[in-house]
Amino acid sequence: MKRPAVLLAVALLFISFALICYRIIWLKYPIFPAAPQKVWQLSMDAHIKGGEKEIKVMIGVPYTYKGQRVAEERIRSGTLNFNLLREGLNQIGVWEGTLGLEDETIGYSATIQIQPQRTLKTKPPTLEPYPPNIGKEEQALGKRLVAKWDLLPPKDRLRRIAPAARGIWGTPPPDAQDLQAWSSFQEKHGQPEASLVLLRAADLPARVVQGLELAESITNSTLIWIDVWTGQEWESLQPEKGEIYQKPAPLLPLTTGGSPVVRTLQGELSEIRWTLKREIINQWRMSFEHIMHSNRLLDRWSLFRLPEEFQRTFRILILVPIGALMICVLRNMVGFPTFGIFMPVLMALAFRNTGLLYGLGIFAGVVLIGYVVRRWINRLRLLLVPRLSVILTLVIIFFTVFALIGNKVGLRELMAVGLLPFVILTMTIERFFVITEEAGAREGIWTAAGSAAVATITYEIIQFEPFQLTFFVYPELLFAVAAVQVLLGRYTGYRLSELIRFRKLKGTS
Amino acid sequence: MILKTNSWLRQFGILGMNRRNAEYIMRFNPRSSFPLVDDKLMTKRLAEAHQIPTPPLYHVIDYHGDIAGLEKVLSEIKDFVVKPARGAGGSGIVLITDHQASSFLKPSGEALSWTDLTYHIFDILSGIYSLEGLEDRALIEAFIHPDPIFAAVTYYGVPDIRIVVYRGVPVMGMVRLPTQESDGKANLHRGAIGVGVKIKDGTTSTAVHHSMVITHHPDTGHPLSDIQVPYWKEMLHIAARTFDMTGLGYLGVDMVIDRERGPLLLELNARPGLQIQVANQKGLLRHLEFIDKAPSNIFTTPETRVAWALDAFTNPKS
Repeated sequence: MKRPAVLLAVALLFISFALICYRIIWLKYPIFPAAPQKVWQLSMDAHIKGGEKEIKVMIGVPYTYKGQRVAEERIRSGTLNFNLLREGLNQIGVWEGTLGLEDETIGYSATIQIQPQRTLKTKPPTLEPYPPNIGKEEQALGKRLVAKWDLLPPKDRLRRIAPAARGIWGTPPPDAQDLQAWSSFQEKHGQPEASLVLLRAADLPARVVQGLELAESITNSTLIWIDVWTGQEWESLQPEKGEIYQKPAPLLPLTTGGSPVVRTLQGELSEIRWTLKREIINQWRMSFEHIMHSNRLLDRWSLFRLPEEFQRTFRILILVPIGALMICVLRNMVGFPTFGIFMPVLMALAFRNTGLLYGLGIFAGVVLIGYVVRRWINRLRLLLVPRLSVILTLVIIFFTVFALIGNKVGLRELMAVGLLPFVILTMTIERFFVITEEAGAREGIWTAAGSAAVATITYEIIQFEPFQLTFFVYPELLFAVAAVQVLLGRYTGYRLSELIRFRKLKGTS
Repeated sequence: MILKTNSWLRQFGILGMNRRNAEYIMRFNPRSSFPLVDDKLMTKRLAEAHQIPTPPLYHVIDYHGDIAGLEKVLSEIKDFVVKPARGAGGSGIVLITDHQASSFLKPSGEALSWTDLTYHIFDILSGIYSLEGLEDRALIEAFIHPDPIFAAVTYYGVPDIRIVVYRGVPVMGMVRLPTQESDGKANLHRGAIGVGVKIKDGTTSTAVHHSMVITHHPDTGHPLSDIQVPYWKEMLHIAARTFDMTGLGYLGVDMVIDRERGPLLLELNARPGLQIQVANQKGLLRHLEFIDKAPSNIFTTPETRVAWALDAFTNPKS
């Protein structure tokens, strides 16, 4: 009956799907782990002068929040101690300790993924008071200057205030006396703070941010900009030029809220340099570290927790069922003839070491020479088991010769011949001989070609890296593979080859 | 194009390999009964117990040592057949028409030496022809002298008759005629000719050779259609009885007609091929589904099943 099989397949698909959903939704796995993704490689290097005194350097570093993801963080601290601490909205790396006379290089590097596609549902910030060094009079000045825009929506208000940094005030222009007072204020406090006061006067929550421009660059200084809340989102204002950055702003914040990126409390920092590089990596790499440190059950039981050398085996092993599935399709739906059922899968696995071309070449060569020898041996009237042993020995002799030739001409692919499944090859020679004897050379060659074709297709599938990675990240896909296999087990339709075979009947009806 | 052919085959009632395996073999052929048909010696003993005639058995070789007794057995007979008990698709069968001293003549005229023959028997014993490579037995059976009815359309060798039986009801029949190409063997994939036989009266209809429709024997040039197969009703009854004998619901029954002994059961096949459809130019599936719709009382005895089949296939209602 078809129903139980279909039910089983549905159940297997459901398990597979549920586990994947759980990983994606709760454990935040990437949906397409193998999909390429653009990321930034940030690295910071700083040079600290040696000396007997205490050293304490605090440098702002990026961290993961909605909109950006930081992974693969590496710290270089030499003989100093390193600590990470949270300070308000910032994450600060603290290097401290005592150096000898030798100088020390400290560093930080990370892979940063900007996720602008997510709308940031931040709750609106509260309007902060004026900076403490701004007097009542200066506050009133600011109020007067922006009063004419008070009725505009926040977004437009920002767009009117921004050009004021360049002295563009629109019409009607403000009072000449106020303007003069303002320019001396700008001079006294600097443009960023001046912009901050104007924005505060216009009731726009704003904060000073220091960071880097997201561009391939090496720089020794950070950038200052102002994030302004315009009711729905933060917009970034370049205070000196009075320009608003287009969304998504090409900025990487390091510290927010006015504290400087680099603070040298004790000691002397002789040089600091930030490098930003673009890179394209698998989405998977961003999640990898998270999983390695996660305590969630599925993360702890992830294949990534296996030692490296076993991981490599499993990357391939986990795709073997796909190979078997391919054989189901090619045999039961297409109707390819093959020697033995899983022989092509084993061949495909072996081709990974020899390469496809050499693998197929060696396969053809061994079977052909094996066939000739087998024909000749036939006259010796050897019994089955000793005869197969002779063929097996012959196959091993071929392998040895191939490996030695490979060594002479420097072809690793030929030396990898030893990984071909020799038992399978031995049986293939015997089967090839029997088929050729009984059903003719055509049938034998046809079956050999079918086996080679299935092995090639299987090889291409298990060599396909996105597939490897996806299955490795989501091993529960094996349940889905089993589901398809179950369904194929109940496929009672015609094979493609049968359509050809019985096509001739058509003319007679 | 593919879809069109697919739906056409379905409409025409062609049975495909997958459906045959899943819906008929797995459903109607219990695994436990397979040994009865996979081993020709077991089939033979079972048939004898059910009074179904089979070719006389001269000798069974179980072990290498038994070969010693062979010479004595062979000294009393002229022609014989060597076959593996568990062979499939006619592999490993050697026909010997005559022998003198240590020279054995095959129907093709080729001579085998005594060592050739014993080597072949050792091969059989070591399981090279057996279905799962299991150790096997070699049977020495009587050479069949076929009924002359097919003489004009047989190059040499023995034609055999295959009847597919579903739930004990004969569904479709075919005569397999050896050709020069098939080396006297009646296996279609070796180049034998398949000729459809009408269930209702046992006359031949259409013929195929390597899936090509033909009307005349390629070696003898004689027409293949409208030959009356002798003993037809008797063979239908033998075929129908194999169901009660084995419990297998989907069987290919292979028989030969010996000049003196009449129809003999040669072997049973629990996985009969699909080529019979091409020989008959008819789809099996339609007939199988038709049988499933038959009233249950017709399945009680071999006689009722044959009677129903004769009636149903005389006036096909499908």
